[in-house]
Amino acid sequence: MTATVQDGGADTRTMRRSTLLWLATVGGRADRTRIALTTVGAAAGVLALLAAATVASTGTDDGPYTSELLNEPGLHVGVVIALVLLCVPVLAFTGQCARIGAPARDRRLAALRLSGATPADVARVAATETGLAAALGAVLGLAVYLVGRVLLDTPVTATYGRHTELGAGSYLLEEVTGPVRRLPTDVLPPVWLIALLVAVVPAAAAVFALAALRRVATTPFGVVRRQQVRPVQVLPAALFAAGTLGMALFAGLARVTGLDEARPAIITVVFLALFLCTGVGLVLGTAAMSARAGEFLARRTGRPALLIAARRLVAAPFATSRSTAALLLVVLLAAAIQGFREHTLLAQRQGGNEFYARALDQVDLALVVAGVIAAAGLLVGTIEGVLSRRRAAAALTAAGVPRGVLGRALLLEVLVPIVPAALLATAAGILAARGVMGTTVREVVYSATGTELRVTELPVPVPWEALAVIAGGTALATAALTMVALPILRRSADPGELRTA
Amino acid sequence: MTSTPPDSGTDEDLLVAGRALVRSYGHSPALRGISVGTRRGEVLAITGPSGSGKSTLLLCLAGILRPDAGEVWYAGRRIDTESEAERSRLRRTRFGVLFQFGQLVPELTAAENVAMPLLLAGVKRRPALTAAGTWLDRFGVADLAGQRPTEMSGGQAQRVAMARALVTEPEVLFADEPTGALDTLAGEQVLTQLVRVTRQAGTTVLMVTHDAKVAAYADREIVIRDGMADDGAPTSALRGALGRTGAR
Ligand SMILES: Nc1ncnc2c1ncn2[C@@H]1O[C@H](COP(=O)(O)OP(=O)(O)OP(=O)(O)O)[C@@H](O)[C@H]1O
Ligand SMILES: [Mg+2]
Repeated sequence: MTATVQDGGADTRTMRRSTLLWLATVGGRADRTRIALTTVGAAAGVLALLAAATVASTGTDDGPYTSELLNEPGLHVGVVIALVLLCVPVLAFTGQCARIGAPARDRRLAALRLSGATPADVARVAATETGLAAALGAVLGLAVYLVGRVLLDTPVTATYGRHTELGAGSYLLEEVTGPVRRLPTDVLPPVWLIALLVAVVPAAAAVFALAALRRVATTPFGVVRRQQVRPVQVLPAALFAAGTLGMALFAGLARVTGLDEARPAIITVVFLALFLCTGVGLVLGTAAMSARAGEFLARRTGRPALLIAARRLVAAPFATSRSTAALLLVVLLAAAIQGFREHTLLAQRQGGNEFYARALDQVDLALVVAGVIAAAGLLVGTIEGVLSRRRAAAALTAAGVPRGVLGRALLLEVLVPIVPAALLATAAGILAARGVMGTTVREVVYSATGTELRVTELPVPVPWEALAVIAGGTALATAALTMVALPILRRSADPGELRTA
Repeated sequence: MTSTPPDSGTDEDLLVAGRALVRSYGHSPALRGISVGTRRGEVLAITGPSGSGKSTLLLCLAGILRPDAGEVWYAGRRIDTESEAERSRLRRTRFGVLFQFGQLVPELTAAENVAMPLLLAGVKRRPALTAAGTWLDRFGVADLAGQRPTEMSGGQAQRVAMARALVTEPEVLFADEPTGALDTLAGEQVLTQLVRVTRQAGTTVLMVTHDAKVAAYADREIVIRDGMADDGAPTSALRGALGRTGAR
């Protein structure tokens, strides 16, 4: 590293930096796709974060809006969490896109080390490229946000629920018809928060790019993967088990520890921490699980497609967990929300609050959006894997390996880890919901004079159908997405790959 | 099959034959009406300058690429008109292919790579891996059985690739510069082994090379230039095949 030299060498340094950046992007379509999708992903991420910040900044004096989610301050936390969670698949997608064509780029950059570039230079270029693309995206996202809040600021006439605080924790709820905004376009989060969010996305993207290069040792003769890293198994399993168990026993534990007496904020933090444990354990565990399953199958199977798939899982378990992480988190969340919904619906029938059920409908929409984005990330990861292995595919095709075998290998490679992981995620999600919300709802029957006649505990049903749709749908959607990649696999096995040195 | 094999009746020994092959990439022609034929058990070297169409010719003869015009015959059967599935089956049962490098599945071990063609043919895992071990041994790389291609030297990987190409005991081996990525010594060792093993098995070999020393291992050499036989007469190579007996 010569970065400490401030003068004298400056000219050659800037030249070399620009040469490196040029080399990073000279590869053609893959590079353009990578940069464009990184930009788009960053823009979407910033937009979601700004939306979250806006909702968080919306107070009781703002509004009214068409959505009860926005009118009811008590629901803002949920909306903010949903929007922030929406960023997870968006950012995972961006990270996935930032690897499109990256191996080829890394090789090109590595070639430059013959003329004196250090591994740090190479890593810096990758980080700079991703960071710049993400910065552009962040600015774009901000622009869309600023323009959008002006364009969408026309009020419409609608009926909405108005809360007036009467003091002592009681509210007056009226139905009012009048001009309302569709979105909190009248609210602007503090400038420092906007600046922070716009800055944080490119920074995160750059860090991601560096992390992706960390295990790649770039030699002058190409990119060599260092000794395969075996994914740790105990830690993710422990995290997942602890998180899930903690949530499953949440209500009971809260009573025992006196947590249920604590402020809601503390309870929320504890719950989020447990949820995070589960999620992180799940994502890390996917790598360990695919390596394990791969190893197990590879030692036993005589089926060519399964053997190839299993060996790929062993060779690159983190690739699997990287591309499936977002999808699994969405599954976890979706299963949990189904549990909450079931509870809420039953409670509502017992005269509970109607807002929460309505809010859940909108959360559903957010989940679908998140699922689609996560699936897109998975697709990008799958296609990237196919393209990076095209030479081997061409060689196998030349040797007479039927296309069906290669297609099945790809399908198995994706499904073998995701099916058990999706089942685990679904189970953890529903356990969390039932653990936190309880498995029964109290039904009180009043007499005509208002005295309690009878109190029964109604069991909250397990939404088996919804859970089956989530787990099965994930597996089916993944399989369908992989089918989308099959024509690319077919074309990537072009014998032209074999002709060139 | 309506047409007849090239010069049928005069030479039933002709195992692989290409007749008047034409193949272009976009507007640039790579093959311009070349004909070649090889006899059973023969080692044929295809030489010529870079870009002359050697690889294209080999890929056409092996049924991997389809020629734009002309015919490809194998053992009295016209293969260029067959479906991809049929040609694919032919390649995995009767042909072996060998390229310069990078033909092994990087994630599979050497033994699994070699066993792959057998597994595809329905052989059970255990016997397939045993056979793979035998072939690795034959090329002196039995100790690499559990290694991945990324952990091998170029010469070692080529030996494993040879074992994979020959494990099904194919009738024809198509090799495109099999030693092109190796240094002189390693290249020579690999080639000696290749020729020894294929001669023992009576395998027909079509080998592309631009190295005169490599060509010297062959029974016969054809030179192509600009997608045609060297003298410009498109069929001379075929006539050469018919007019001479193999050196063996
Ligand atoms: N996929 C392709 N796209 C475009 N042109 C091609 C392609 N493959 C081959 N060509 C062209 O066809 C001609 C013959 O190529 P081929 O690879 O068969 O030559 P070769 O004799 O094997 O050369 P070398 O000795 O360098 O390997 C060359 O001019 C080449 O540029
Ligand atoms: Mg060639």
